[in-house]
Amino acid sequence: MNFLIAQAPATPPLNFWNGDNATAGLWIKIIIGLVLGFALMIGLLFAPTRMRRPIVVTFTFLAGLFWMVQWLWPRAGEGVTEPTNATEGVALWLKDALPVVTDFANILTAFLLGLGIYSLVSIHGKRLIKKQTDWVFSGILLLSIVIMMIFGYADWLTRLGEGAAKVELVPGFWNRGRDLLFDGMLQQMDAAMFSLIAFFILSAAYRAFRIRSIESTILLSTALIVMISIMGAIVFMLDSAAAPVSNNLKLSEIAGWITGSLQTPAIRAINFGVGVGALAMGIRLWLSLDRGGVSG
Amino acid sequence: MADLAQEERTFGEKLQSLPRQVLYLILIVVISASVIASKFAGPALVLPNKPGNNAIEFYATVMNVPEGSTVAIQSDWTNSTRGESAGQLESLLRILMRRNVKFMVYSLADPQAPQVARDTIARITLERKLKGEREYKRWDDWISLGFFPNGEGTAKSIQSDIRKAFKGKRDVSPEGPRDVYQSPVLKNIQTLDDLGLYINITASKTIDVLIERLKFKPARFGDFEVKNKLGSMCTGVMGPETVNYYSAGLLFGLVVGLNGVVEMETLMENGVNWPEGKKTVEYAKDKQLVVPGWTGKQNYARGTSYYFALHTGMALLILAVLAGNIGMWLARSGKGKNA
Repeated sequence: MNFLIAQAPATPPLNFWNGDNATAGLWIKIIIGLVLGFALMIGLLFAPTRMRRPIVVTFTFLAGLFWMVQWLWPRAGEGVTEPTNATEGVALWLKDALPVVTDFANILTAFLLGLGIYSLVSIHGKRLIKKQTDWVFSGILLLSIVIMMIFGYADWLTRLGEGAAKVELVPGFWNRGRDLLFDGMLQQMDAAMFSLIAFFILSAAYRAFRIRSIESTILLSTALIVMISIMGAIVFMLDSAAAPVSNNLKLSEIAGWITGSLQTPAIRAINFGVGVGALAMGIRLWLSLDRGGVSG
Repeated sequence: MADLAQEERTFGEKLQSLPRQVLYLILIVVISASVIASKFAGPALVLPNKPGNNAIEFYATVMNVPEGSTVAIQSDWTNSTRGESAGQLESLLRILMRRNVKFMVYSLADPQAPQVARDTIARITLERKLKGEREYKRWDDWISLGFFPNGEGTAKSIQSDIRKAFKGKRDVSPEGPRDVYQSPVLKNIQTLDDLGLYINITASKTIDVLIERLKFKPARFGDFEVKNKLGSMCTGVMGPETVNYYSAGLLFGLVVGLNGVVEMETLMENGVNWPEGKKTVEYAKDKQLVVPGWTGKQNYARGTSYYFALHTGMALLILAVLAGNIGMWLARSGKGKNA
């Protein structure tokens, strides 16, 4: 078995969809892909308006069809690499196609990130050039993007050489710079933004959580028990006090009952509803029954 | 006029309409003081904690993964939830590194997440290095696979053929970047079930993506039986939803929020049904199960240092709700006039 593992290729065998790194063959495939991609985009731009909807509908249906077939089609048996019948043949083809389709999906989704950056640069670049209201903030944003890119890329480059995998006690200039920008600033601001929620929660709980009816009394009592059950020291004390009387009176037991018997089934019911809704919405999107997104 | 109206307000009315700035100031002072107190008090302020079955099962499973096997860590958090998620990843890393378990880390949720995870790994590696413990080496002991924007497709691809799911990915080796499948971490992984465990650390609903797409066969680590190799460490907000999967047997264990981090740290210090621990942590479901801990090592860390602040924060929240309700009751009953 170990011998087989040793002989196994580090990466899957080459096929139509891939190529060896840094070879002319791979570059040719990349260039052909780019040319075809641009041609397709230009073709779509110049397509008659009445054709746009059928094109989008067809692509949407084909994209969804792959996942639907992949989900419904019977799997080939474990370890089967050569098909013995048509069903297995399709199953193996679907299995081989899955990583390729996933790569497409990853790349397409990554384009959304690129689109977001383009949109940011476009809007804030115009604001900066035309010196519109708050152009200073736009300038700071663009400067931050550029500086982060420079330090991020330089930091990445320093980690490519020999010995780069080691944890250095004394990092270099670019590593320190990246560390300061990413960990020292961006991540701290991220945490600070999220921590603002605590203030709103406190204020909202204080103002809105009032006992005005039987329902709100039940809700408040339950919430208090669950909140106290998060405080380990209090649970420890109350459980210790209740233990000699009855295990059922332990706070952890009461909170566990609320969580297991009330909260979990309720959330499960909601999730079933959400699941059915998502299925219905998915089918509508797949079959382009929602006209909004694909109308010409 | 305004001053006159202010004077005429009863105590009850005042109590239920405290200015929000006052509440904010109280919150800042209470939380800051609690964190600072924890920092200076150190081990003297370790509050008691009783780990739940979900955390005990998580800890016991991670402690039973065979040495040298590979654990997949899907790290889907950034510093916005570091109060919970950072402590979760740190405690997990301490266990894996002490047990010489290899791991690969990647994200299906956030482009920043892989860097945040790598920084956390570097922090724990440095902690070990400064204590004279073996340096956990990238490439030999762990690899980073980066970010996959299409989580659903990637998870399906991992389930279908893990050898193809990460094809073309390269990571830093001592000789420079190399194909990740040449790394000792992934070299022997042929199918999903070859992974020791698959652990998702998340601040969102990414566990749903995995539950729907990954299917593990039951396994045995020696005498220890694992019905499912998927485990979750999630934030407190995501806890109630994720508990569904744990109670349905779809997760081998579950660590929820900051309380979960403290549970992990308590278990690392005391083990489960372990006579050598400082205090006994009982696992009621199986009293025969004994899982050791590492008494005296760096176990109490981030979770414990925030735990006192969690208590005071929750107490403040409860007091605020009580104050609002008492104020409302006083105002309605006409009591507290001219207080």
